[in-house]
Amino acid sequence: MPDRHIQILSDVVANQIAAGEVVDRPASVLKELMENAIDAGAARIDVDIQAGGIKRIAVSDDGSGMDRDDALLSVERHATSKIRDAEDIARLDTLGFRGEALAAIASVSRFRLITRLFGALSGTELTITGGRLGDVREAGGPQGTTVEVRDLFFNTPARRKFLRAPETESGHLRLAFLTQALGHPAVGMTLQADGRPIYALAGDATVADRIRDLFGLEYLARLRPVSYEHGSVRVSGFAGVPAAARLDRGEQYVFINRRPASAPTLARAVREGYHTLLASDRHPVVFLFLEIPPDRVDVNVHPAKREVRFRDHDEVRDAVIGALRRSLASDGAAVLAAGSGPSAPPAAFGAESAPASFPITDLPPVRAFRYPRLPLGPVSERPLPPDLPGGEPAAPTAAAPSDGKSPWDWCRVLGQAGSLYVVLETAEGLVLLDPHAAHERVLFERFMKAVAAGRVESQSLLVPETITLTPATVQPCRRHLELLRAMGFGISEFGGDTMVVDALPALFGGASAARLLPDLVSELESTGPRADRSRWSEEGIAQAACKSAIKQRDRLTLAEIEKLVLDLASADMPYTCPHGRPTMVWLSFSELHRRFGRT
Amino acid sequence: MKIKVAKDQILKGLQITQGIIGARSTLPILSNVLVETDEDKLWLTATDLEVSVRCAIPAEIEKSGSTTLPAKTLFSIIRELSATDIAIEVDDKNSASLTSGASFFKILGLPKEEFPPLPKFDSGFAYNLDQAVLRDMLVKTSYASSSDETRQFLNGVLLSFKNDKLTAVATDGRRLALNEHDLECPKDQEADLIIPTKAVAELLHSLGSEGTVKIRAVKNQVSFEFGNLLLLSKLIEGNYPNFRQVIPSQAEHRIQIEREALFSAVKRVALLTSDRSNSVKLTFAKNKVVISAQTPDIGEAYESIPVKFTGAELNVAFNPEFIMDPLRRLTSDEVYLEFNDELSPGVIKCDTPFLYVLMPMRIG
Repeated sequence: MPDRHIQILSDVVANQIAAGEVVDRPASVLKELMENAIDAGAARIDVDIQAGGIKRIAVSDDGSGMDRDDALLSVERHATSKIRDAEDIARLDTLGFRGEALAAIASVSRFRLITRLFGALSGTELTITGGRLGDVREAGGPQGTTVEVRDLFFNTPARRKFLRAPETESGHLRLAFLTQALGHPAVGMTLQADGRPIYALAGDATVADRIRDLFGLEYLARLRPVSYEHGSVRVSGFAGVPAAARLDRGEQYVFINRRPASAPTLARAVREGYHTLLASDRHPVVFLFLEIPPDRVDVNVHPAKREVRFRDHDEVRDAVIGALRRSLASDGAAVLAAGSGPSAPPAAFGAESAPASFPITDLPPVRAFRYPRLPLGPVSERPLPPDLPGGEPAAPTAAAPSDGKSPWDWCRVLGQAGSLYVVLETAEGLVLLDPHAAHERVLFERFMKAVAAGRVESQSLLVPETITLTPATVQPCRRHLELLRAMGFGISEFGGDTMVVDALPALFGGASAARLLPDLVSELESTGPRADRSRWSEEGIAQAACKSAIKQRDRLTLAEIEKLVLDLASADMPYTCPHGRPTMVWLSFSELHRRFGRT
Repeated sequence: MKIKVAKDQILKGLQITQGIIGARSTLPILSNVLVETDEDKLWLTATDLEVSVRCAIPAEIEKSGSTTLPAKTLFSIIRELSATDIAIEVDDKNSASLTSGASFFKILGLPKEEFPPLPKFDSGFAYNLDQAVLRDMLVKTSYASSSDETRQFLNGVLLSFKNDKLTAVATDGRRLALNEHDLECPKDQEADLIIPTKAVAELLHSLGSEGTVKIRAVKNQVSFEFGNLLLLSKLIEGNYPNFRQVIPSQAEHRIQIEREALFSAVKRVALLTSDRSNSVKLTFAKNKVVISAQTPDIGEAYESIPVKFTGAELNVAFNPEFIMDPLRRLTSDEVYLEFNDELSPGVIKCDTPFLYVLMPMRIG
């Protein structure tokens, strides 16, 4: 029988457990090491990673360095130079303070630290393997500290199993680097991955310089500066114009006192700041830097300090909303003064009305009454299968009319509800149509039929478009180039994270590659775990592409709706979009009569 | 303000302003037309903040003044009036009394101070051009512009005043139309102006076949003055892509073909394309070009046109609309097709300074 007495765990085991909280993947190691370097007053930080950081992560700085005793203490648990007592936590101005990171990292890797104190003649080198201190010796080296972490999780196979492919981890590492780079533009930084230089960022830079260096000038042009003060909170940074919004939340960077942070309050405030400016499934691009007195924010919620708590939620929320509104409103005012573009006029700010997400532009109210009945051609030869007779393609159950009759002998457009749903009248009742979903269905079936027939038409572009993807999305995209090409995307690598597109499937009409491709890949990323997530399928690509292509449309004409209804009537599965959402909701007259008590 | 105008005249003016005033403008003042007296005429002005139009009509001015009146109401009233003359009197509360024959209307306006001020064109940038020339250049190019809102700089027609030439260009990234006209351009007056689609549409609507048009521009605004009209528009900001680089520098093959014949053949063959398969194939063979379309589930069509061609057989596929668009707007009897191979851009030219580049489609 095993020994069941309670024991105090050895330091090594305790550190390994702690490591589970602080270090869950190479990116969190990088974050801790870079924060230490910044806290040490570094003016320059060099990062070198190999095989997604699993094999090696090395971070060198030119900061203050440590003497021999401090170096030894630094790898002990709860050893830190950053605070002295509990009260210090409340007025923290350093990034780290818990004194856990190095000990935790050293307990799950082959760890080496070389440091030389400012002004000292020689430095110290120490190695730790799986938490056990090895050599400690005098060593030369430049002023500052270099930490090298090799074979992460070599002694904790359970954790190692949870690591993803090196490319995926590499993406996370780059994101971690990028976040630190944005938070500390004054510090010069370089990143090298597998011997390839990725970023070389000059020091003494501004946030704008950093964004330009990391994302490009064009990207920067789509951001509006933010500068705002509310109570004790100062907000600065940049807010993306509504047109730059994305399908995922991936490009929302929020820093509190230069520390990357997230909190439900912040996410809600950002959304609120863009209220009425964005469709509900689009997320704004923001780079926000909040300065809050240290005693008004609690960062000691999560060991990795990702989540924060505020002493005064409302103040922070109002500051973020106010900052975004001010920044975007000044843009709006410029729009009005110069009379530019089709974007929402400033009157829309703060207005209660919902965003006009899919207005019919030419729908005069009187016309609906005189509107000719719209016969649906294909119906006569092949009635749609509301009652799913055998042999017909299986229509999903959602919204299928239940009384066994086709609603589609004719129909006419009555109008549009909520600036989105198209209201149609048919012989048998009312139909509410979601034009986005319907469009997606029609386009998707066409696309898949063309793919299946091996006959995808691809329209070449006059000028190839170069598109820079994010680290997270470029890898899968790179792996699926052949598939994308077979599906009509003239796509090839342009070096780095950049792709060049010289042709698009002709089905997508005038869509812009620069908008379509990032949406497509992030849509594929975010659709979540499917049966086999490591491979994209043709169907997945077609779904994502159709969704993105439809997103680019934000106006409809009456003629287009008529066409859409006809196209939908001849679709194999007219009742749902490719993602399974219903395209229409059907309300029969008998149902209406029943509800009005007329039966 | 107290004036007399002829019904036909004011109706014509209001009709022009109707084109600018959107059905659902968000600011109430934008639904109004600005009415101002001048010596012996009345100025009517409408704006949607992007495009503004100002139109002069002859009037008998008894007492000068200005106001703004709801454009749609004013237009509907005047259209229905039976008498030919209309007297309008506006009091200092912007309430307008319309008297015509036995009819009397009182409509409430808004103070003219609320009407957005129009931009001033005080720079020296000015060109004079025949209305017919500008109209022709816009007709032959504007259809190629893009409506993709993510690339606003393509949502219009570029007018480039450079190298003693006015060049009009429009492109949607798949095809490009260009038309040139010799025009003396002093070095200090060279400029690239991107005219938004809405303003181009107004120009196409209003430009006549006689008389000149004066084009002026300041930083982000352009004005076109012709006849009794002044059309102002915001310019699209941004740099127009370098369109010269997409024009193929040389062509291996050049054939001459009757414009009407090519247009109607493509139009007929395109009847057998579909949303799913929207391409026609041009097969160049010995002394003929065969235009064809094959669409699964629908059928196929062929039509051949005799041309002088001696090279090896060559197939190129295009979107039929892209071929027809320029052909239906050109006027010359013959056009020239230039091409290299099935993946390179094709070019349509004619004997005027016109050029159209279209990208082929790949299939499979």
